[in-house]
Amino acid sequence: MEERTRAYLRGRFRDHYRRTEITPPPAANEREWGFIPWTDSPGTTMVRHRSLLELGDLSEFLVRKRPRHVYFSAGRFRDPGASSMGEKDWQSADLVFDLDADHLPGVTLGEDTYAEMLATCKDALFRLLDFLENDFAFEDVEVVFSGGRGYHVHIRDENVRHLEREHRREIVDYVRGIGLDFDELIETETVAGLGRRTPTERRHLRIDGGWGKRIHEQFMAFVDELLDLENEAALERLQAFDGIGEGKAEATLNAARNNREELEAGNVTVHTAVAQLAERFASRAVERDNAPIDEPVTTDTNRLIRLPGSLHGGSGLETLRLDRDEIDDFEPLSDAVPETFRGQEIAVDVTDGGEVELGGDIFTVSEGDQSLPEYVGVFLMARGRAEKEKE
Amino acid sequence: MQRLHARYPFLEAARETVATEAVDLATVVEREEAVVDRATQRVITALEDGDTGEPHRDHRVELLSYPVARVLVSMVGENVLVRKYARAEAATAYDRFIEDIEDTTELKSVETAGLDLEALFAEFDLREAIHGPVDGEYRIDVGTYLPLAADLWDDEWRLVNQPLERGEVPVDEGELLALLREGIRERIEDGLPFDVPETIAADLEAEAAEIREVLADLDLTREIDTVVPDLFPPCMKALLDQIQKGEHLPHHSRFAITAFLASIGMTTDEIVDLYRVNSSFGEEMTRYQTDHIRGDTSPTEYSPPSCATMQSYGDCVNKDDLCERIPHPMAYYEERIDDAEDEELEDWREGEADEAESAGD
Repeated sequence: MEERTRAYLRGRFRDHYRRTEITPPPAANEREWGFIPWTDSPGTTMVRHRSLLELGDLSEFLVRKRPRHVYFSAGRFRDPGASSMGEKDWQSADLVFDLDADHLPGVTLGEDTYAEMLATCKDALFRLLDFLENDFAFEDVEVVFSGGRGYHVHIRDENVRHLEREHRREIVDYVRGIGLDFDELIETETVAGLGRRTPTERRHLRIDGGWGKRIHEQFMAFVDELLDLENEAALERLQAFDGIGEGKAEATLNAARNNREELEAGNVTVHTAVAQLAERFASRAVERDNAPIDEPVTTDTNRLIRLPGSLHGGSGLETLRLDRDEIDDFEPLSDAVPETFRGQEIAVDVTDGGEVELGGDIFTVSEGDQSLPEYVGVFLMARGRAEKEKE
Repeated sequence: MQRLHARYPFLEAARETVATEAVDLATVVEREEAVVDRATQRVITALEDGDTGEPHRDHRVELLSYPVARVLVSMVGENVLVRKYARAEAATAYDRFIEDIEDTTELKSVETAGLDLEALFAEFDLREAIHGPVDGEYRIDVGTYLPLAADLWDDEWRLVNQPLERGEVPVDEGELLALLREGIRERIEDGLPFDVPETIAADLEAEAAEIREVLADLDLTREIDTVVPDLFPPCMKALLDQIQKGEHLPHHSRFAITAFLASIGMTTDEIVDLYRVNSSFGEEMTRYQTDHIRGDTSPTEYSPPSCATMQSYGDCVNKDDLCERIPHPMAYYEERIDDAEDEELEDWREGEADEAESAGD
């Protein structure tokens, strides 16, 4: 990046911060702050271990420093400005989730467009929110578009802030479905049984919550599909599963027809073939429902996270807090374009052209000197694909 | 009251009793032989039997022996002792409150000197976090559940296998009691080892030395640092074999073999290499678990399970004559290593190193 480009972006970031009101996170003065300035060195240098006391008023600081990136810690500390983690004296930390398009299954890097990657990421966000809102029933949930390749979710419920790394790993494993063991979801109950001489065991899948409930939903959807099929087609469907031959297929179909109620209640002892088949749906449920979050972000209780309201120095887009009911209609590539960069054109020299989808339009950008809407120019410069040209 | 506190010396109220009796620990240590003896026995029995032994018939002596035992544990200062001691205190408390709860139920009396669930909830500030029971099932807030279940290694405790709903994990009474035992263990471990004032330490040197000796005899901390898979106890051979075949092992089995390998001096990298015969062995999991067991990523360093534990998990297989005579898989391996002639022992890692060199040519 040339000095002229850097100076331009610095100046325009300042303009943005002058006209934008930033709402700091709660307990901002108990957090560590960090930022990456606009420098010409190839590596990025993060200035960190700062307390808000040292930075001064946040808005004033952003105008003065107009950093390229700005972060605050998930952790809260007694002395957030201390230079080592030990001296900081950790008190608690928000529980943070990061969905990054770079790490998502279903994203083909180099093939999917930026918009497609972000759409895949939003699907994953909804799956994550299903866990956080229903299974965990968290109440203080803040969803943020990162300004880059994905979404962050900050949980600030009192009863999870004390959790340490290893406890957070259990939460990661839960939403990713790692270590799920079908046998552990089965509850065995000994039934004394009227008129029975020996007590028998009843095995039930726990369908009152968690992965058991998700597996059961998928399994029942499959059972109902079977019931809609002709006999032969249904048997064929069943025999497509490994290890299920003619006998087991017939037993399962009979169970589905005669004992649907029992299956609905989670009883998997109707027939051994049924239990065997239900187990297959465990991995299917994980595949369909898991939220592929970036593990280290959640388990690191000292992590620095991008500040909502700030600009992402790698895209020129705004890091945006989203209300729960806004997420559905949220279009990151137009809604996160800062007002500051709209309404005027600037001159840039494009070194790496191509299609750019931004601000609700698709631009086919050729290489060389040209005039472009400022937000497109800023985006290309921030990504290192253009340099500022003299106006 | 004294009886209750003597039974459960980790209770806040017991601590207060000790304080308000204006007891000066230095004086107790200096003058009350019975207390020091019982404290020493508490720690040694913890090491040898995993509980705290017969209580002293005098409640006062029994109660005072607890803070003195903590002093002794702190003087010795070994992590393995802290861990074993806390586990034994918690196991003893657990047995006692199960007894108390049964008594209360049978006698339908509130006048017992025992502890009931309500009192335990209050003690550990859990009243808000535990709901029910409804039809014998309690529900516990997930933020409370996770730290309590953290050191319970069995797969059934893992959150991913819980029917978590509305932020609550359902547990039956047995599971709830096991979680409370973990809470007690954590409280007992908390703050150990601490700095012991000179004046007190001076009077307890002989007792601390005795404990050190017992600890050394148990050989829990000794490094063997020789890896000869042929001499492994049959249980560990069987587990290693399954891993190398790529079979999925339950968490406790994986823990057992990994802790065993770490205890005989293998590094995380070496364990990963040994498991790698099959490609689906789960390197990330192995690394995480090994680092955890070794104490690199957790506050505690774990030792491999004893024969009794292996048996209870069904991991004790192919028993041979030597198995009958030893209480612990580590003891089996040590004996086999001692019996073998030195030149017969080829360390697995040396074979690996040779291979690596030739591969590099």
